Parts: sequence; structure tokens; C-alpha cells
Amino acid sequence: MTSHRLSSGGLVNRAVPLRFTFDGKPLKGFAGDTLSSALLANGQMLMGRSFKYHRPRGPVTAGAAEPNALVTVGEGARSEPNARATVAELYDGMTAASQNRWPSLAYDIGSVNSLLSPFLSAGFYYKTFMWPASFWEKVYEPLIRRAAGLGRAVMEPDPDRYEKAWAHCDLLVIGAGPTGLMAALNAARAGLRVILADEDFQLGGQLLSETAMVGGLLAADFAAAIIAELASLANVTLMPRTTVFGWYDDMVFGAVEKVQKHVALPDPDLPVERVWRIVAKRALLATGAEERPLVFGGNDRPGILTAGAARTYLNRYGVGVGRKVAVFTNGGSGYRTAADLTAAGVEVTAIIDPRKDAGPGQADLAREGLRILSGASVTATRGRLGLTGLVAERSGHEEVIDCDALLMSGGWSPIVHLLCQRGAKPVWSEAHQAFLPPDVGSGFVAAGAAAGLDRLSACLRDGAEKAVALARNLGFAAYDADIPEVEGEYDPAFAPLWYVQGSKGKAFVDFQNDVTVADLSLSQREAFGHIEHTKRYTTAGMATDQGKLGNINTVGLVAGMRGVSPAVVGTTTFRPFYTPVSFGALAGTARAEQSRPTRRSPLHGWAARHGAIFVEAGLWHRSAWFPRLGEKTWREAVDREVLTVRENAGLCDVSTLGKIEIFGTQAAEFLNRVYSNAFLNLPIGKARYGLMLREDGIVFDDGTVSRLSENHYVMTTTTAYAAEVMAHLDYCAQVLFADLDVRFASTTDQWAQMSLAGPKARIILQRLVEDDLSDAAFPFLAARAITLKGGLAARLFRISFSGELAYELAVPAGYGEAVADHLMEAGREDGICAYGVEALNVLRIEKGHVTHSELDGRTTADDVGLGRMMAMQKPDFIGKRLSTRFGLTAADRLQMVGLKPVEPDAEIKAGAHILKENAKPSTTNDQGFVSSACYSPTLGRYIALALLKSGRERLGEKVLVWDRLRESEVLAEVCSPVFVDPDNLKLQA
Amino acid sequence: MSITYTHRHVLEDHITGFETRPNANHLSVFRRPAIAYVLAHAGHESDVDLALDMADGLSKRICGPAEWLAVSQEMTPDNLMRSLTSIAGAAVLDDSDGRVLMRLDGPHARKILAKCVAVDLHPDAFALDASAPMLIAHVSGNLARTAEDAFELIVQRSTAGTVFEEIKEMGREFALTAGFA
Repeated sequence: MTSHRLSSGGLVNRAVPLRFTFDGKPLKGFAGDTLSSALLANGQMLMGRSFKYHRPRGPVTAGAAEPNALVTVGEGARSEPNARATVAELYDGMTAASQNRWPSLAYDIGSVNSLLSPFLSAGFYYKTFMWPASFWEKVYEPLIRRAAGLGRAVMEPDPDRYEKAWAHCDLLVIGAGPTGLMAALNAARAGLRVILADEDFQLGGQLLSETAMVGGLLAADFAAAIIAELASLANVTLMPRTTVFGWYDDMVFGAVEKVQKHVALPDPDLPVERVWRIVAKRALLATGAEERPLVFGGNDRPGILTAGAARTYLNRYGVGVGRKVAVFTNGGSGYRTAADLTAAGVEVTAIIDPRKDAGPGQADLAREGLRILSGASVTATRGRLGLTGLVAERSGHEEVIDCDALLMSGGWSPIVHLLCQRGAKPVWSEAHQAFLPPDVGSGFVAAGAAAGLDRLSACLRDGAEKAVALARNLGFAAYDADIPEVEGEYDPAFAPLWYVQGSKGKAFVDFQNDVTVADLSLSQREAFGHIEHTKRYTTAGMATDQGKLGNINTVGLVAGMRGVSPAVVGTTTFRPFYTPVSFGALAGTARAEQSRPTRRSPLHGWAARHGAIFVEAGLWHRSAWFPRLGEKTWREAVDREVLTVRENAGLCDVSTLGKIEIFGTQAAEFLNRVYSNAFLNLPIGKARYGLMLREDGIVFDDGTVSRLSENHYVMTTTTAYAAEVMAHLDYCAQVLFADLDVRFASTTDQWAQMSLAGPKARIILQRLVEDDLSDAAFPFLAARAITLKGGLAARLFRISFSGELAYELAVPAGYGEAVADHLMEAGREDGICAYGVEALNVLRIEKGHVTHSELDGRTTADDVGLGRMMAMQKPDFIGKRLSTRFGLTAADRLQMVGLKPVEPDAEIKAGAHILKENAKPSTTNDQGFVSSACYSPTLGRYIALALLKSGRERLGEKVLVWDRLRESEVLAEVCSPVFVDPDNLKLQA
Repeated sequence: MSITYTHRHVLEDHITGFETRPNANHLSVFRRPAIAYVLAHAGHESDVDLALDMADGLSKRICGPAEWLAVSQEMTPDNLMRSLTSIAGAAVLDDSDGRVLMRLDGPHARKILAKCVAVDLHPDAFALDASAPMLIAHVSGNLARTAEDAFELIVQRSTAGTVFEEIKEMGREFALTAGFA
């Protein structure tokens, strides 16, 4: 292995060597290297295999747009596939591996695809693997995916931490090159809160690769001086290693910071990556410009890279990309790089320039005696795993030139992605021969090379002036900026060259997807001419680099093929993310159980001590059942709990139900309007069941309202609809009935609420309560403040969901567990048990009470047997008007009924369809469906609630319960939905 | 029969047994603060607002138009309720058990909170004594700035565990400690 590292020069720290491995081979680099600069320094130009043809590839760039040098960094669970070697910061102990090759990078069996390439053109898969259809998913796609590809994700869980954060500023400067640094400095001096973000680990951008003198300093030293001043200012936040990847509504920018991607073993107290949401009053795009590759035959061999990239490897990393370097350029960049290489002692064999004349001053950069082939092109290249030579053609004369590196420059494209992410399209400029950023208003503007400027001095000025203008626009007093003098800048002007005539062999336009000029031509022939269609048909501009390098050439080539201006062709659509962002970073801490907040009831600890199995109900974790020793299935526990409640008593946590406290002299009127039933006459100290409708007459939610004093009520909602009801009431109070004196607030979390149900509920409860609980003193639907023995103030409601004698006791949440413990103790001799929501569900089905299984957003009050709750004599209530429309009163609507299987042991499951007894099993014969079903331990059989066409007229009829999914057919009898205690004797006991 | 009921803080299991000496960045959880939700009836908005400002021994937190939380570490919930229900035009409900009060202070309080709330807490943007309702670690809560680098958070009791753990996680970078006040 020969070293390409120069003995001096560059910004790497030769005093700090770093060890790393590539495909298992130990190598050395320096602090300040990227993986690719270190590999190049070690003479390793070959870094990967291409996606489709498995062609050997090396880096084309030295930055974020890299299509070829994709590697897997790290090992085991920390493997990161598709890392761009060109931006991966080298660290001691880094392990990197090439991808998409077998058995090795140098000898890759898959490269046989290259020989098959006549058959593998764009659209090949779509045309070939068409039948049999089932083969696509099972055979063709897995085969194709194995043969073609990028890196592989590991299956182990990610061991590292990620997090998300917010930042706020007056001005966000994106890019810390010459433009961005001048902008940040001038905005900061004016007093703005400035955030300067750059994807690189070293701030300075192009200044780090520049040989010019700025303000009397070497460009890199000038950058360091500005960064030092910025770092000293309290109003500036420097964010290196931070890629701004998206521009979203309300001037929110998404950015990802690589916090610990440059260490072998991350500190567990820090995230490895952090996603930032940056809220900026103004933003400046200073992302610079991308150098275009040239499209000629064999333009993808390792050793062919952009001139600017070679310049960066040379001036920033002290690495010569070759020993004998040729340059193919249509502008100043190639000449500048040739001059830099020559100065560093690297041999430049020839400059091939398709233009007849180089721009003024450009040719002067080349040293005396350097061959310049004007009006010439490179039409082919030689070499297998690396470049060995090129074929230059001029006026029909071909010449082979030996070289181990070829630098290409096809001009510059402003990096406008972020500005175009919210709908605006880049604008073609004939003068610049480039797409320029669109005008998206004064909040977010482009400056410097991103705005189409080409010279260093112009960029410095533009960044400073635009920052001053933005500062003034925000009301800051900003002085005019001092613009530093630049010595030794070059003229990067270029003439466009989209396609090199006479190219031999594949001329790649999109390296990452192996898309060639021939593929673009095919898509034109096959009527995929629109650029968005061309993209999909050929895959040009897809995959991890999203065509950062190839897209503009694609547009230029398609324009040439169609004989129109690139302005007519236009670009494809720019969307976040600018560069790939890991799922880990986007998830942040929201993983596994932390994927969403958890709500815990005040009785959670009590339930857990009684062995509760919890079920997620929205954010809540509710106790579902309480298995006891020897109970093998959930059903055994639930059956016992139900029977205990029916025979003795049970205690259930109902704290999660929504509770809303309502105040006001017109609270009664308000309730009267939001509920369908009457509320004006609710006495103090009484509770009432209430039904809320939507405006369209469909049932919205149900619950109870208790009147605690003249102008004070407490409402309960279902657990699921607590937030929706609150929002609905807010809307009613603020918009519909703003004139009513009513105020309300949620009080759900204040109370631990427990339902004590069963024939022995009163006896047990009385042992804990000071107040008289006899039926006369505290009858059904009584609701008032009481005092527990020991003096604790509580609220008691005699309401029931189970059909049993039942109370709901509410105590301040902090006392919940203590009170529940005392109730269990007080009821021990009476056989009390804890019961969960599963038993609660069985109890309510047995009693024929509805939940949102029946109130499913399609049913009216009458449908579920609550027609009496429609107080039509009221002047108005929400849902009244539309509840009378024809569709909602039709006689054949689904109505709630009960179902009992004819065979005593047969089981009915929720979701099954109901058919007439002898009807053919088909949804065309559908008569309704089962909404809730359970095994009733009280009746010793399965029962169900169902919604059946004209159901209440069909009691006694036999119907077929047809469950297509679980393949069962059960004959059942239609019956009343109230299976237990239809006369409410237990309830009123 | 006289019964004593033990009052239990929702974060008991998160804190007891894990206490350490407070570091510079510290999250304190108040055991029994008195917290009331105060609403002003129409026409009384500014009177109630003013009365809350004038009241002794409590601090006012803005929850929305004509809605506040009154927080006191000196009064019992009963005493707080008594002092508030005398305000004309105010509707008051005791929320001492429904909410959890925590205080985050230390030199990195803002950096920790930047990972929990979307609101700009720069001293120029969020002045001393400012308060606002906001999402804290994805759940609704109220944040107030009570000293130069100190913030008080109020969240619903049922979500306090999630919020507490999330803040602790976000504070790892800055060696955040946590305990009862």
C-alpha cells in the first residue's frame, strides 16, 4: 500500500494518529480526517460496489452528496449501514466495511451483472418479472434485493440513546462556509440570537479547502478567527456536526446533530444523535454549491472524482488523490485544482477542456508547459479496479493518456434543497446555467454560492449584507458590514456540457443507482418523458443520496434529448430529509414502553398489590382482572369476580372515567342543552344518567351528572372520550352558548374513584362512612359530599353500571390506596373481591348497558334502546334537529337486542354478522352484527348484545350468527338485552 | 371506629430509596403543596386576576383565558380553598391531589427543559414569574419561571411518573439529581 498523504499541508493533525480498519485491514489516519480522506491517504481508492452492476467505485466527492463511497461503520448492534465515507469523521478504533460485494470488494461475483447489462436496463424488472403474479413477492423481489443493494440493517436492538430538543433564535444560518460565517458574525454583532449549524465536524466550509488569502490570513485561519469570535458571544450557538434536514411550517427547521458518532464507545449519559426542532424568526441558506460531474464513457471508475473534491482532499486533508492526475473541466475549477496539485508536487498530465478557450485568467493558473487540450473531450477510460488511463478525443483524433486519477468539473449547482421543501421550485437561470433558489419571502433567503454567486469575495459580501438586512428587518440596529479583502481567488466560470459526444461504454449520470445516459434515452422512447416519470422509470435521483450529484445532469440531458431548455424540463420535487436521518434519532426517547406517555390511576398500586393484570386503554393502564392462585385463565378470574359481585361485593377502580366540574348560575341550562335528556330539574344531591349527542343526532358519549350544590355540578364521561367531551364542552361554551354563565374544568386526576358493587355493598361501606347510608337516607342516585370515619372528606354517588346495589366513592387521589385497602379489609368477612374492567364488562352486558361498542358513532339513542332519553319537549339541545331526519328514524334501522345461542354451549363472538336463519352465509344477506359478547357466569352460558335490523320487533326469532373470519355459524335466539334483574330489584335494594 | 388514612405521593415509588445528595442541577418534588384551579365567571376576569395577584402566600399560574392555578407551599389545601372561594366571581376547585408540583433548578435547567418543552425559555422571552400552559414531555402541564434559573412544573397526577422519568433522562447529561423537597 502506497501512501498518498503529503508530508505537510492540510488541517489534519499529524501529531494525533488514529487507528482504524477497513474490511478488516488495519490502517492509520489522523485527527481531522474523514474515513474517505484516510482511505485515500492509504491509497485505498476502491471503496464500494455499485447498486445494480456491482461496478468497482471510489468516492466522487468529499462531502454530503457522495453517491459511491457508502460503507458500514461500526460493529454488531452499533453497525450503521450506508454511512458516507466522505463525511464520516474518523476516530480511533473505527471499523468500516465495504458493502454489496461477495466474497470481497476486489473480487465480487455480482459484477457478472455488468456483463448482463444489455438486459438490465431501466424498467427491466417491471417488464420481465410479470408472471406468475405471486412470484413477484416470494421469488423475484427477494432475489433482486439480494443481488442489488446497499448496506444491511442489523436486527439487534440499538443500544444507544437518542433524544430530541427545541432551539429558538432570531436568525438561523445554515452552513458555516464563507457566506455563513460572515452572516453569523454580522448578525451576532448586531445583537441577534444566532444559531450557526453546519453538517461538518469542522466549521469553515469551503474556506477549509481554499488557498486564497482572506483579510490577510490564510482562508482556514480567517475562518478560525471568526469562529473564535462567535464562540465568545453569549447570543451565538455554534452547532457543528448538525445537518439541517428540513424546513417545516411556521419557520421550524429540523436538524440532526451527531453528538457521539465520532467515538468508538459512546458515553451512556449522552445521546449518539439528537434531533433539533429549531424555531427561527429568520433563516439564511448558506449551503454553497455542488460541483457537477461530467457525463462521459466510463466516468465511474475509482479515481475519477470532482475537481473540487480533489482540491479538498489536497488542501484540507493533505492527501493527493493520485500520482499522475488528469483534469477534464469546462470551467475554472479544474484549472484551480491543477494549480494547487502542481504546487503540492503532484504531477498533472493534462487538462482536457471541451471549450475552445478557457475563461480569462483560467489558463494562466496552469503552470508553464502543462498540456491543455482545448476543444477536447474524454470519451472513455481504462482500468479495472482503478483508473489507469483515459481516451481523449479531439476532432476525431483519439489519444490515450496514462493517469491514475481524473478530476472532472462540469460547473456548479447551488444547493437549494431546503428552500424548495415547501412547494417552491428552483428557477432555471440561463445566465448562471444553473437552477437558482426560488423567492420564498423575506423570512428565509439564500446567500453566497447557494444563491448563484461564484467568487469567494462575492460570497463573503453577500453573507454579511444579507445578515445585516435581516437584522434590520427584525428591528435591530446593525452597522454596515466590513468586508475582508480576498487575494488569490479564481474565476470559476464555466460553459455547460451535459453530454460528451462520442462516449464509449457506460456514461453514468446517477452513480448510486447505476443510471446511464442510455437509460434516460429509453425512458424518453417509452413515454416516461416528464422528469418525475423519468425519475421513477430509471430510478435516477432515488436512494440515499436522492440525486444530489446527478439530478441536474439528468435534467440537462433530458432537456438536450428533447431539444428544450432545462427550464422547460424543470426539477423533481425536493422533500425532507436533505440527507438520511436515522430512525433512532427521529424516535428519540419514544421507544418501547416510552413510545407514549402513560397515565396511572391513583389506585394503580392497590390493584398491583392485588395481582392485577393491566390493560392499556388509551394512555391509561387499567386493571383488567385479578387472577388468584390456581386460576389458569383470565376467564376463571373474571367468572369468579362477576359471581362475587352478584353474590357479595366487589371493588373496581373507576378513577379513569373523565370527571368535569361545572360551575355557574346557568350551568343547569348549559347541561340541558348539551345533553339530550332533561337537566333543569335535577335536585341538589342527586345524580342523573345523561346522553350526549353529536350535532348530527348520533350518540356522542354517555355519563352521569351530579348536582353538588345550587350552581355546582360534577359530570362523568367515559374513559375513552374524556378529552373529546372536554373539547366539545369548550366549543359549546365558547362558541355556541357564549352568553351562558358557566365555567368548568377537568378534575379527573384529583379523585381516586372506586365502585363498590354487590348486595353487601351497603353493609361494607357503612363500616367506613360516618353518614347514614340506609336506602331512605341515601337512595338510588343520591350524590353528595360525605365524611369517612376518621374525618376524611369524600364524595359518594349511588350509581351502578353492573345492575347491583352499587356506590361510587371518590376520595382525594393521594388517599385512594389507603381507602381501598380499608374497604377491602372492611369487606373481607363478607367475601369482597377486587374486580377489573373485564368483569365490569361482563356485568354490564348481563345488564344490557351500553358502552362505545354500541355507541360506535353510528347509533342513535333509539337504536340502543335509549329513546326515552330524547327530551323532545325541550326547546333545543345539541342533536335535536337532525335526530328527526328520515334516515335516523327509519323503521329498519339496526336496534340493540340480546342474543342467546340456541345450543347452550355455543359461543358467540363480537364482530360476527347476523343473518336470517336459513339465509346463505354472505354479507349481501347481512341483518346486523354482534357488538359485545361474553360468557355470563351468572347465566352459565354465552350471551351477546347485537345491533339487528328492526331488532326490537324480532324478539324470539332465531337468527344465524355468522363469523366468517373465525369460521363459525351459531344459531341464536333474539331476546331482550337485559339478561339480569330486568325489574331493577337489586339496583334499588 | 377511627381510621387513619395514609396519604401517598404518586412519585413515592420513583423517589424513595433513590435519593442522593442534590447536585447543581436538581429536580425537587413537593410532597403536599396546595393547588387550586381558579376560573373567573364572565365579567369578573380582571377582578379575579387582580385578587390572585394580591393574595398572600400563593402564586398564580396562567392556564388560559380567565383560568389559573393557585399554588401555595404554605397553606393547606383547605385553607387555600377558603381563601380563594371568598373571591367574588371566582369558581374554585381543589386540585391539590390532582396535580404534581416539581421544581427544576440549576445552571442547565434551560438545556434540560429544551428537551421537554417547545417553548422559548430564554430570559428575554420567558421573564421571571412568567407562566404558561404547555406540553411537558408530551403531556399537558404548566411551567413557571420562579427564579433566575429555576422553573416550577405542574402536571396531572396520572402523568407525573412519565414526566418525572423523562426529565431525569434528559438531565443525565447534566448529572441531574431528583428527590422530595
